[in-house]
Amino acid sequence: MAEDVYKPGNLLVSLKRHAAAIATGLRYLLSTKRMTVRYPEFVIDLGEGYRGMIRWHRDRCISCSLCAQICPAAAMKMYKLPGEKKMYPGINYQRCIFCGFCVDVCPVFALEHTPVHDISYEELDEMIYVPTKFDTEWVSPAAKEGARPVKVVFDEEVGLRHEPQ
Amino acid sequence: MTSPGSSELRGNPYFWYRLMGRDEEGYDVYELFIGPQHPASGHMRIIVRLDGDIIVDAEPDIGYVHRTMEKLAEGREYLKNIPLFERATIIDAANITWGYVRAVEQLLGLEAPPRAEYLRTLLAEINRIASHLYGFGIAGIMLNHSTMFMWAFGDREVWVQLAEDLTGARLTHSYIIPGGVRRNLPQDFKEKALKAIRYMEKRLQDYERIFVKNPVIIARYVDVGVIKAEEAKRLGIVGPNLRAAGVRYDARIAEEYGAYPELDFEIPTREEGDAMARLLVRIEEIKQSMSMIKQILDKIPDGPIFHEKYYRMLPPKLKEFVEQTGRLKLPGAFIRLKPEPGEAVARVEMGHGEVFYHIVSDGGIKPYRVRIVTPAFRNVVLYRYLTRGARFMDLPAIYGSIDYFPPEGDR
Amino acid sequence: MAPQPLDKVVEFILSPHIFAPLIYPGLLAAMLVLLTLIWAERKMTAKVQLRYGPLYVLKPLGGIIQLIADAIKFMFQEPILPRKADKWVFVLAPVTMMAFTIIPFAFIPAAPGFVGVDLEYSLPLVLSLSALVPPLILATSWAANNKFTLLGGVREAFMMVAYETSLFIAAFAIATYYGTLSLSKIVEAQTVPGIVLNPIAAAIFFVAMLMTASKLPYDIVEGEQEIVAGPFTEYSGILYMLVMGASYMELYVLSLVFVELFLGGWKPVIPALASIHPAFQGIALFIKAYLVLLFAVFLRSVYARYRLDQALEIGWKKLFPLSLISVVWSLILLVITGGA
Repeated sequence: MAEDVYKPGNLLVSLKRHAAAIATGLRYLLSTKRMTVRYPEFVIDLGEGYRGMIRWHRDRCISCSLCAQICPAAAMKMYKLPGEKKMYPGINYQRCIFCGFCVDVCPVFALEHTPVHDISYEELDEMIYVPTKFDTEWVSPAAKEGARPVKVVFDEEVGLRHEPQ
Repeated sequence: MTSPGSSELRGNPYFWYRLMGRDEEGYDVYELFIGPQHPASGHMRIIVRLDGDIIVDAEPDIGYVHRTMEKLAEGREYLKNIPLFERATIIDAANITWGYVRAVEQLLGLEAPPRAEYLRTLLAEINRIASHLYGFGIAGIMLNHSTMFMWAFGDREVWVQLAEDLTGARLTHSYIIPGGVRRNLPQDFKEKALKAIRYMEKRLQDYERIFVKNPVIIARYVDVGVIKAEEAKRLGIVGPNLRAAGVRYDARIAEEYGAYPELDFEIPTREEGDAMARLLVRIEEIKQSMSMIKQILDKIPDGPIFHEKYYRMLPPKLKEFVEQTGRLKLPGAFIRLKPEPGEAVARVEMGHGEVFYHIVSDGGIKPYRVRIVTPAFRNVVLYRYLTRGARFMDLPAIYGSIDYFPPEGDR
Repeated sequence: MAPQPLDKVVEFILSPHIFAPLIYPGLLAAMLVLLTLIWAERKMTAKVQLRYGPLYVLKPLGGIIQLIADAIKFMFQEPILPRKADKWVFVLAPVTMMAFTIIPFAFIPAAPGFVGVDLEYSLPLVLSLSALVPPLILATSWAANNKFTLLGGVREAFMMVAYETSLFIAAFAIATYYGTLSLSKIVEAQTVPGIVLNPIAAAIFFVAMLMTASKLPYDIVEGEQEIVAGPFTEYSGILYMLVMGASYMELYVLSLVFVELFLGGWKPVIPALASIHPAFQGIALFIKAYLVLLFAVFLRSVYARYRLDQALEIGWKKLFPLSLISVVWSLILLVITGGA
């Protein structure tokens, strides 16, 4: 590609290249392709397998503490709940890096990734999930406020197409 | 005591030159501090001394994002270092961790199964394309070609999406672990990847029309920042910057790791060694990577994705889950990998160049010492070397063409 | 009955002396151009780059009043005066710059027989007035007392001498053919658009126009990748709005001149609009000028920036000889056709 860029160009070649550049710009100006996903109105449905916010199932947990041991960011910690003998994991989302090691190491599927990733917090303290808070379903705030979910589809013409569901 | 008037300083001619606004050699220079808070310079500062419009000296002042990664690594278990090193080059996470994992595997005496090596190679090549597109975009905006910037970053999204489909994360994949990889190939991956490749091939033609062959870019890039093969070797330049100077060196063929020995690919080189050559080499590498992805998807062997030694430890229920979903489960013993005492070195070709790891193990669960030599750090010398005698407006052109990534250089 | 004072005021405002510089094609129309052109520039660039651009301020119309929102923001932003700046020059230069871009509207005819001040030499006067802006940019760069602004000022000085000469010669080349330096007479004399008669002069004028307004590929003065914002580095708030607006105003003035010289000016005249105001029958001038402006700002999404020495080379080694050729071409045409 572009082997001839090193050749000394004359005026004609140069004009041709200017014209090609401007024509390419105009072609895109007149096309209807867009890459943007207008986020608060549309939200990408990330589907199964995405490493998003982590959901903990208390009924499955056997308190083995492997998740707390493997966490590279020290986000996962074991908490002692009042009135219980066992320790349970809680997570600090100030630290979590979503590597998913805890989910992979859990032998009883008590930890699961959810596709939810767009949670925001007003205070730092809210980001600490003690076991009682950790055992709840995640809801995407954008989806809750009526954002339309779109699915990412690979396309030869536009790269990624975002199809409303 | 070194106050400005002290005799110690007065004896130094440099002091008087500086007082008169001159540099060491007595030139009348105009000193500019570009960065670290500057629209074109991210996380680093370049101290430029100008004589009129000519750069007398440009001094890269790095270290603004130094995160003591080597020291931090000494306090963590082997597995936990993977997400850490990933953050040195977040845009090329698979390649930078692969080098570390290869060194750890040498210490552990492990070897990943062939399918895992293919999957590693697949993600590494996807990352290489994404990394080159990132550099492409930055090179564009350095010349104020905002369309190239937006296009390259937008098309990078396609490859990031492919990586996400494979690993579950957009950038910090933590995919390559000692003994294998964390996820198997998804069902419809091949179809998606082929579509992405065909799309990218079309887009590269548009890139050529609007950017590479644009007369303005030719004027800005041809014969700017020239480095020849001998000098590049002497300075220890790596990666596409070295290959653009005409040296056919690539860790992928020098080291023969992963699935590379079984793939058919070329190492693109050019003789010119200028900014345009660096750009063209990167474009050619994107094409080669796409051809490699096609070959990998055709050739990939069946089999396990994780070393038998650890996979054996999983209870039957977890093994069943792994077979069904393709998502690996880790055994508890994996948390504290304990290699024999010894040393290991490994190198891997990243998008930016060759990364080198040297790990010293004392037999404990944490590495005694990890040394990383990143490609960006080896290439940073180019700022000083290439800019001398160039025009001031060549600085962003050279900056963009080197594809320097500050967090990688600073570690 | 004596005429009402209010009628007199209205009549005064509607007379060409006031209407031309202040309402159309002057200040008010220029403000409209400024507001919509910057929006259109961002929208077009976004379109080429597969984005949306400004969208959420008045969403049904695609964020068209984004610039008003931006202007309000600039108004209420604190204008910071650097402690070491030459404060008088620092404040007055942008204001004067804006003034020099507005004065030419008094001499640019907008419709047949409609011009603020009708002069025989309106073409050189308009070009000279717009040539007064670069020295003021130099003044701002010196007054701000900053290394980056100074470099920007030096670049402006270099660029100024490179493009002004060719701009003037190209304009005079076409004026030579028509045998007059009055813009209104040039438009009246044009039966065939000037761009067909002398395409070299038109091309040179357009390129020099881009250089004057520092639009890509010649936005060297503001080169944000090297020198932050060039001469305007230290400006903030309303003063920044003025210096930023001035370059667009200059572009608008020059594109009006370009249309009058090369694209047939206000022809075809639409007499129906004369009932609103005589100036509006020449609305074709405005539409053509706006299209020229749109093309000029569209180039931003196609080009990168030339290097300073390359732009100077283009100015001196290409545009200047070509502009002389265009003069010769005009003379040859004059001899062949016997004048317009």
